[in-house]
Amino acid sequence: MTITETLKGSITVVAINGALDASTAPELQRSPAITNASQTVVIDFEHVDFLDSSGLGALIGTLRKKRDMSAETLLSCMNDRISQVFEITNAYRLFHIFDDTSAAVDYATQLISRK
Amino acid sequence: MKTLLAIREREYDWVRQAFPSIHPLLLPLCNKPFTEFLIDFAILAGSSEIRLLSDGPLGEVKEYCENGNRWGVQLSYATLHAEDSFQDLIDKNRKFCGDDRIMIISGFSFISYDKHQGYANIMSLMPAETCASCSSGSITIFGNTETPSTNRPVLPLTILPLDNVGSYYRISLETLENGSARYVLPGYGNEPGCAIGRNVVISKTAEIRKPVSIGNNVQILSGAVIGPSAVIGSNVIIDKESTVKSGIILDNTYIGEHLEVTGRIASGNMLTDPRSGASIAMEDPHLMTGIKAGGKSGTAGRKTVHAVAAAILISMQLFPFLLLFPLLKLQGSWSSGTTTCQGDSSGKSFSMPTSEITGTGLAVSLAAAISLDRLPMLLRVVTGQLAIIGSAPIIVSDRTTSFPAGNPGYRPAVFSYAEAEDWPVNGSDAAIVERFYAMHSTPVKDIGMTIKALLNKLYEKNAA
Repeated sequence: MTITETLKGSITVVAINGALDASTAPELQRSPAITNASQTVVIDFEHVDFLDSSGLGALIGTLRKKRDMSAETLLSCMNDRISQVFEITNAYRLFHIFDDTSAAVDYATQLISRK
Repeated sequence: MKTLLAIREREYDWVRQAFPSIHPLLLPLCNKPFTEFLIDFAILAGSSEIRLLSDGPLGEVKEYCENGNRWGVQLSYATLHAEDSFQDLIDKNRKFCGDDRIMIISGFSFISYDKHQGYANIMSLMPAETCASCSSGSITIFGNTETPSTNRPVLPLTILPLDNVGSYYRISLETLENGSARYVLPGYGNEPGCAIGRNVVISKTAEIRKPVSIGNNVQILSGAVIGPSAVIGSNVIIDKESTVKSGIILDNTYIGEHLEVTGRIASGNMLTDPRSGASIAMEDPHLMTGIKAGGKSGTAGRKTVHAVAAAILISMQLFPFLLLFPLLKLQGSWSSGTTTCQGDSSGKSFSMPTSEITGTGLAVSLAAAISLDRLPMLLRVVTGQLAIIGSAPIIVSDRTTSFPAGNPGYRPAVFSYAEAEDWPVNGSDAAIVERFYAMHSTPVKDIGMTIKALLNKLYEKNAA
């Protein structure tokens, strides 16, 4: 799995390429934008082909940690397989999910400006 | 033009209460699911792509509607949050919306349209605004008109609130009585006001009085009188000499002999008065009952694997238990009791033994590390009441009302998947991992997860 971080204004887009599972979730949790609890991030799932419970756990852990610091975790560009995991687990209720990364960045920017 | 169908859980909560066995978005109006009417209208309005958005589960709807090929449109699905505004919905679906005009049909309401009207043409002239609304829904257009017009066209339709059993009953029967000319309704009928589905057996002595709609896989036995104004769903049996008049029999229902269902809605063993909303459950299965689909295959295999694993675990724990239990009991470190828990898909509750190990000392640490407190529960796995690993049992209380719709895949167990994955054991996060494994686990994987839960408890105690 590779992780690319791109700063778009005050928002960091974390693009994941590969599978997000038990072996790669710690890598995501160690990435700078995720470690920084006060940084609002958009996690781009366009090139994620697999997500398991550990990956889901890492995302929820990130969301909780960032919400404690009034920051947000938004998700974008999920394929059907990944969105199905979010649906069957009801995890979609926790996240704002977008089908376009730039729309997620715009939305996150608005969220920050409202705070 | 593209269409977003946005329906929030709170708008159809009443359907879950009134007809718990039916997915609210597939609630049949006359003989066609609610969502299909919305799709039909979106197509008539000129949409080639439709996206269904909800904050509730959409699994069953996806299974029914698939990708929209059946209607010749592209149908996709996405989620929303209850508080999302129309602009939020467009932002969250920006790739889908593109630069097209967007029609947002919002709310759990019925669009009373007429298939003969040229909605595509009217919609193309409609300015960007809310063009129709009622207390529980609206139709709103976003984006500039394709052909600007000085005169605002009139939209020949009405939106009716679908917010309780009474409005559902009225709309369903009105659709039956006057709808065949307005809507596309399924079923075969060689004369107006009579639609009959596939695999329907009607006794020679049964009487069918128009207007009537009969679904698929229906048996109407001798002497039964159906109609006028009767909607019979699919997988229904109307037994001898029974009458259904101005009534709705929903899917998977058996109506016993010599019964008269007039002005009522029957679903499973529930009979509802649409005027007052009051309903009663028929306890006698000879009068009225639900017709159940076959159980999921593989349940027996899973239960066997779990029982064998539990038996092995019991045999391993028995010797330490015999050694440590008297000691812990003497110290006052072992307390036991019983609690009432929610059962699995049957919805029946059961009494479950509970044990707790408290205090300090070597015996306490050892007993907790090897999960001796779970031994009484393991015995229930052998009898099939509990799974060895699954969901943390839900304690029955006055507030436990959401089962089973709110807990799909719930399987009470000795160890929870949250314990195995080291997630928070209680609360909504634990429910997420439990749902994940309810869909993804296999009996063999369950054994691995049980070992993981045992090891987590062992390490957790050692770390402490």
